[in-house]
Amino acid sequence: MQLLQKFKRGNSRSRFTGHSNYAYTTARVRAMKSKILPNETYPRLMNMGIYEIARFIGESEYKEDVDELARQYEGADLIEHALNRNLAVTFTKLIKISEGELNYLISENLKQYDVWNIKTILRGKYCKASTEDILEAIVAAGSLSYTFLSELATKSNYEEVVSELENTEYYAILRNYNGTNLSEIENQLDKMYYAGLFATTGSSKSKDRKLFARFIRIGIDIKNLTTLFRLKKAGITDPDMMDLMVEGGLKLKISDIERMLPLSFEDFIAELSKYTYWEEISDVVSPDMVSLIDVESRLKKHRLKSAASFSNVYPLSIVPIMDYMLSKQNEVSNLRIIIRGKAANLSDELIREQLVI
Amino acid sequence: MAEPVTSTITMMDPAGLQAIGAGLAVGLTGLASGIAEKDIGSAAIGAMAENESLFGKGLILTVIPETIVIFGLVVALLIS
Repeated sequence: MQLLQKFKRGNSRSRFTGHSNYAYTTARVRAMKSKILPNETYPRLMNMGIYEIARFIGESEYKEDVDELARQYEGADLIEHALNRNLAVTFTKLIKISEGELNYLISENLKQYDVWNIKTILRGKYCKASTEDILEAIVAAGSLSYTFLSELATKSNYEEVVSELENTEYYAILRNYNGTNLSEIENQLDKMYYAGLFATTGSSKSKDRKLFARFIRIGIDIKNLTTLFRLKKAGITDPDMMDLMVEGGLKLKISDIERMLPLSFEDFIAELSKYTYWEEISDVVSPDMVSLIDVESRLKKHRLKSAASFSNVYPLSIVPIMDYMLSKQNEVSNLRIIIRGKAANLSDELIREQLVI
Repeated sequence: MAEPVTSTITMMDPAGLQAIGAGLAVGLTGLASGIAEKDIGSAAIGAMAENESLFGKGLILTVIPETIVIFGLVVALLIS
């Protein structure tokens, strides 16, 4: 059987384009998606105390992770670690069950966690956080293993971290890190991640890669729009801020963003009404709005919704898998918001605003 | 005097042709069923790996393309 698979896959190059097991992977991922907590769960969780929530999570899909980590952590920390571990295990599973081009595209997408983890460790070292604190935010879903990352977290300074990463593709950027230009390095890492994604989809004619590219580009739009909102709200019109924007959006081209950057908040909103995203956010956006939480969660919700409907249009493609990944990320982030919010004694109203349901 | 032209006509045995037809009917439809069942079967296994209660549904959906080869078999029986 292995020989047959080897024959089907051909040489190592065709691993990127070879036979993909769409039927198996998408059916399995859909079954996995059916286990995601339904929206009605969140209001119920809001009425529970922190220990009840911990027990609820401990009895749900996260049981194994909670049991595994229960000896080392407790309370909100335990849940946080269990959620991160579950996310990593689930996403690594997606890589394991997929083959060929599908496998390649998923791995490329999951590199966002490599970037995230490297950023987390560098930030941790920058503000001299303890190893425990750094490990709390690590999600080992990318190509770097948890063991390697936890070793990195124990290093005493950033030079050692960077030298450990010498053999990775990120070293070209990381070697310019001098201990002060962290935000610049983070931007470059993000851009490198997106450049890598576009390189995989760029010249290919395959339908799947086109769908993948479209999906990524909508994500970039949402990211840029969120950044723009934050900049405009803070009244920043500095053209240097274009460095924060990621190229390649679907509806919001980089030239559009350049045009919007010098505008005032009122003009920016007027300008935004020409774009399709306006329909999603029009009722929460006004020139005198105080908080951006509503807009941001509305945009995230739009992305989730469009991913779900998109996955019904293309059932045998990468889209249902991307949709699942987004929903899973959202579930973990919602649970984290609730548990951290409850632990910090925030009001229910405040926590509810942050949730993306 | 020229010799009369004689030609021998070789005819295929009708029973043999029938057998070939029947064989093709079963063989080709069998292949078609196999191709159709491949994806359904792997999808069913994928769903079952996550949720065992889907076994019944998966099994039924997997054998639905089996009708193609049954039709082939019926045709083969009718021919021969």
